[in-house]
Amino acid sequence: MKKKILPYLLLTPMILIMGVLVFYPIAATFSYSLKYWKLTAPNDIHFIGFDNYINILKSESFWYSLQNTVFLLVLILFGTTILGVLLSLFLNIEVKFSGVLLAVAVLPWALPPYVNGILWRFIFYPGYGLMNKLLIGMGMVDQPVEWLNSRWTLLFVVSIVVIWRSIPFMALVCLAGRQSIPHELYEAAKIDGANVPNIFRRITFPLMLPFIGIGVTSTSVTAINVFDEIVALSGYSDLGKNILVESYLTTFSFLDFGKGSAVTYLVMFLAAILGIFYLRSLNKEVEY
Amino acid sequence: MKWLKKAGYVLCLLVFLLLTLGPFVWAFILSITPEHAMLAKSTALLPEVVTWKNYLELFGGSRKGQLLFAGIANSLKAVGMTLLVGIPICLMSAYTLSRMEFKGRKFIRNLLLITMVIPVMATIIPLFRIFVARQLLDNVFWLSLVYVSSYLPMITWLMSNYFSTIPKELEEAAVIDGCGRLAVFMRIFLPISYPIILSAALIIFLNTWNQFQIPLILASSVGTKPVAIVVSEFMTKDSIQYGLTAAAGIITVIPPAITALIFRKFLISGMMRGSVKG
Repeated sequence: MKKKILPYLLLTPMILIMGVLVFYPIAATFSYSLKYWKLTAPNDIHFIGFDNYINILKSESFWYSLQNTVFLLVLILFGTTILGVLLSLFLNIEVKFSGVLLAVAVLPWALPPYVNGILWRFIFYPGYGLMNKLLIGMGMVDQPVEWLNSRWTLLFVVSIVVIWRSIPFMALVCLAGRQSIPHELYEAAKIDGANVPNIFRRITFPLMLPFIGIGVTSTSVTAINVFDEIVALSGYSDLGKNILVESYLTTFSFLDFGKGSAVTYLVMFLAAILGIFYLRSLNKEVEY
Repeated sequence: MKWLKKAGYVLCLLVFLLLTLGPFVWAFILSITPEHAMLAKSTALLPEVVTWKNYLELFGGSRKGQLLFAGIANSLKAVGMTLLVGIPICLMSAYTLSRMEFKGRKFIRNLLLITMVIPVMATIIPLFRIFVARQLLDNVFWLSLVYVSSYLPMITWLMSNYFSTIPKELEEAAVIDGCGRLAVFMRIFLPISYPIILSAALIIFLNTWNQFQIPLILASSVGTKPVAIVVSEFMTKDSIQYGLTAAAGIITVIPPAITALIFRKFLISGMMRGSVKG
């Protein structure tokens, strides 16, 4: 009898925390999203079904921010994955100062994303910031480029900044994957006379794949949830807003809790699609 | 051939260092550049005159300096509290999920995994309401619990995979020797799990240090707001004080950077076994 209760007893703190702080709020958010609920009209809260969703899907503002979200997602995902895998292979080369290199590689992760955005604002400063100094110095442009004042260059800069801080996690996960491949496999391949590209294609890449999968999904979630950098680079302006900023603005600036909750649910829907891939790659068995 | 390889490595090393450290170096240069030289229309990278004014102001007990260090203290408090609450709960959950047989194990495990993709915004409005109703706003303990809820799935999952690589025979032998479950956990699991515990602690440290959005809504008073919010206010309130903000940014990265430097070894070794289902 005692044995049967013990596991549940041990899980109680976890279940309580997740129940109260995650599952209840998610259910509550859904019920909010079905209501007409503005903080400016606190006495007029009522059920309106899916009207909030319909209104959002009809609004141009939503599609504009969805485009931005997708643009960021694609750029960040490709950039982080390619550069992160390359960095992990580079860090895997053993040298005297490997440990220090690893610590240096972690640095971008050690910077709060908001502060990160501010640092990069100095680089892409519209006047004589670092990037414009370099470009003008090399004679590539005559006039300073206004990086943060047009939609696509702004989003491009946001992507670079997010990629820069997402690479460390990606590289570490991939490095862990690379280092857990047994040495014997490489020795056997050498004896069989395999060349370097073949070894990479047949051994390194497939065995690193589940780790890359973890990195890719975690990066996707990061990319959908970019918030700090956008705000740090362009304020709460409409220019570079993604769905998350849209949801924040709807909720906390326009004080429309109902509609804000509905926008959030649409973000979550997008994240959930990626989450399914996540579950799959995480539950995959690896065989050597 | 060997020479070529070495040159290639050095080239990669330089690119890596330039891209990783570049933004920090630039922020540092700005932080020691006099205000008037900063906006000059010149392509010179280094200032002609160096000033330590910004650092003197921050370390000299000015109002901004006090705010910055209060923010750092708040962040460290939240880190400590999150570790204190989070690590034991994650260990307990991970042990149970990887080592015990019971009804609903797989269901709970999968439910936990799927919550990894839930964005903060999906829970923040009801949380905000709960916090207002129960007067929990600006309270480090409750703020930390929210952080724990957002890291718990991933950390538990890393730990439980690490545990499943520990051979069952080890445990059985101990049980035969007359150890109870608790003793087995304390004497066998904990000592050999230190890499994953340290690696989890470092992940929790960095992610808590980086928080901005959750505390913006739940803990924005002077006594609780983290360093990221303090630095963000340098930018908006007094319009432009780039040098000071850059100096604050450099100071902000020091505590987590030192921690990462000390524990770097465990970041990889813990994840190596923790990432793959055994």
